[in-house]
Amino acid sequence: MLQVLWSVVRLIFWMVAVPFFIGQLFNFILPVDKKRRSFGITYLLGLLIYFALFDIIALPCMILIKYSAFKCCTRIYGVISVLLAVLGACKHFGVLFTKEKEPSRKVTLDYIEDFKSFKTETKIYFGIFIALVLLQMVMSLVYAPFDGDDAFYVVQSLQAQQADVMNTINPYLGRSQLLSAEYRHALAVIIMWIAFIAKASGVHATILSHSVMPVFVIPLVYFVYYEIAKVLFKDKENSTGKKELLPVFMIFITLLIMFGNVSINTPATFLLMRTWQGKTIFCNLILPMMLWIFLLMFEDAKKVGEVSGGLKETTRVAAPWWIMLTLANILSCMCTMLGAGIGAGFAALLTLALLIVTKRKSVILGLCISVIPNIVYVGLFLMLKKGWLHTIFN
Amino acid sequence: MYGIFRECWVTLRQYFGGYGEPADNFRAYLYIVLLLAAAVYITARERNAAKKLLLGIAPIVIVLGFLFPVTRWAYVSKIDPPMGETYYRILWLIPMYVVIAYAVCLLISRVKRYRFKTVIAVATVLVIALSGSLVYVNQYMTRAENMYHIPQYAINICDAIKPADGEERVTAAFPTELTYFVRQYTTDINMPFGRDYTDWTENNYYHAVYDAMEKPEVINADELIAATRDPEGNGNTAVSCKYIVLKEDRKIDKDLTSLGLKLVGTIDGYNIYEDPEVE
Repeated sequence: MLQVLWSVVRLIFWMVAVPFFIGQLFNFILPVDKKRRSFGITYLLGLLIYFALFDIIALPCMILIKYSAFKCCTRIYGVISVLLAVLGACKHFGVLFTKEKEPSRKVTLDYIEDFKSFKTETKIYFGIFIALVLLQMVMSLVYAPFDGDDAFYVVQSLQAQQADVMNTINPYLGRSQLLSAEYRHALAVIIMWIAFIAKASGVHATILSHSVMPVFVIPLVYFVYYEIAKVLFKDKENSTGKKELLPVFMIFITLLIMFGNVSINTPATFLLMRTWQGKTIFCNLILPMMLWIFLLMFEDAKKVGEVSGGLKETTRVAAPWWIMLTLANILSCMCTMLGAGIGAGFAALLTLALLIVTKRKSVILGLCISVIPNIVYVGLFLMLKKGWLHTIFN
Repeated sequence: MYGIFRECWVTLRQYFGGYGEPADNFRAYLYIVLLLAAAVYITARERNAAKKLLLGIAPIVIVLGFLFPVTRWAYVSKIDPPMGETYYRILWLIPMYVVIAYAVCLLISRVKRYRFKTVIAVATVLVIALSGSLVYVNQYMTRAENMYHIPQYAINICDAIKPADGEERVTAAFPTELTYFVRQYTTDINMPFGRDYTDWTENNYYHAVYDAMEKPEVINADELIAATRDPEGNGNTAVSCKYIVLKEDRKIDKDLTSLGLKLVGTIDGYNIYEDPEVE
């Protein structure tokens, strides 16, 4: 029992505390606006940086180290993450960088104040929405969906945890294999991140994938939808009121997802039946996140247009969301190889919409910078496909 | 080109659950109409240009792009050859749930009387429930028996044969239904064949153990033992199977114990045989 509790503490540390404090350290990236530096957005930023850091460390470890690659990866990643988190905690508690003391704590109270100001009816709607999300989380523990792909993805995580390898054992058979045989899946290092969390928290990778990841991913997905809703209903205060419509919107979203199993291919089915897979995180977390980022960019477009003081000032206003988009793109590459292509395509489509509305050509520059990770990934993939990197990869 | 367009159309219908049965097709069409109607409504009614573009026009453009034969041709030839099985993933780019939910909220916000607002909200919930399918009642959902979310019988069998800490890994041949779960529980057990054979049988790959154990209606015991002792047919004993797991009622021409194997035990309806000749 004590061991289980200790594992839960470690899970919370690695999956909640570390990304949050990393977010605290880097939340200068976010706009100064208090609402934009909320607890949730700070956590999301930290999580994206946390993932990106893993990608940057895991890929060279996997490609260049032949034996015990995963051990090396976990050590480097663990040390750097903790270091950043400690610095973030110092900033959060006002020990370091005291200029911006306690912004997140104040924002946390804002959430509570917001809730207190709701009408009783709105509170009930929010209650229904939260109950539906909790129901989905509980159901993810009570039910065990079957998916054949787990024999690959989950086993790769477990092999990394138990044998310190990074994709060099055939997950179906248990026999050694060349990394080049699996380069397409190997580049999607999210399964190695799951293995890292499993190893760091002492939880079996299969338990982590099937029982912990849904409890982690489902609320995160709804948080992104909630942020989308906040932008969508911002200017509706004069009609029926933003606060009334927002929870109703969220209830519809939760119901659409719960009843979204119209086929095995919909994002809803992926979210509730194979939550731990990279494809799920891509279509349920990253794509909505990209939509949210672009909604914010549209919202800030006027502000960017009004900025005076040249490129530096414009960049200061416009850069936060392009940075978030770049980080989201890194995560999409980490999740699935297809994400590198489709994610960039989606970003391009939304940038085109932004260009049409704002008529600012600089958004093309933003897009070009934000898809650099995708270009690197596709380049890596093509080189491997053509066999140009196999000597290094093996 | 028309043929490719038809393929795109079928993929779109299947994405929404229309696999050919008239009732399923009807529900799929209903969902497509619901989505497009929501996007068109947002395009027509939304005053904010950004929301109109992102939630109204963009989804329609994506659907049209999806149905455009050249898109599929490019996807299949360059991204996912030879069949483009993942072509449906382009539809992930449509923020489907946001579009539908936002269109309804937009409609609610335009209605003046509270009673009508309630009627629209309740009707929407009903449409979502009737046109959709609750994820928890589908055939692949079962009650979790443990935190691993794999069948308990698979765990019990693995516990019976997995090596103790510090000992060498063992190789064991399992029936198809177990191959998915064994290595999710422990990587200390290797298998002669796994999902790479059982899920892609249409490719008709040859594997001695799989062919001897899973293909025939009645197993030929001599052939099975020959295959498990030398799966590769080249004398490589490193891949020989120390254990064979068979369902109790699996038809076999001879009792494996009569051929020198030891019955270790019967767990949850599966017989576990140990081959003393394999180290």
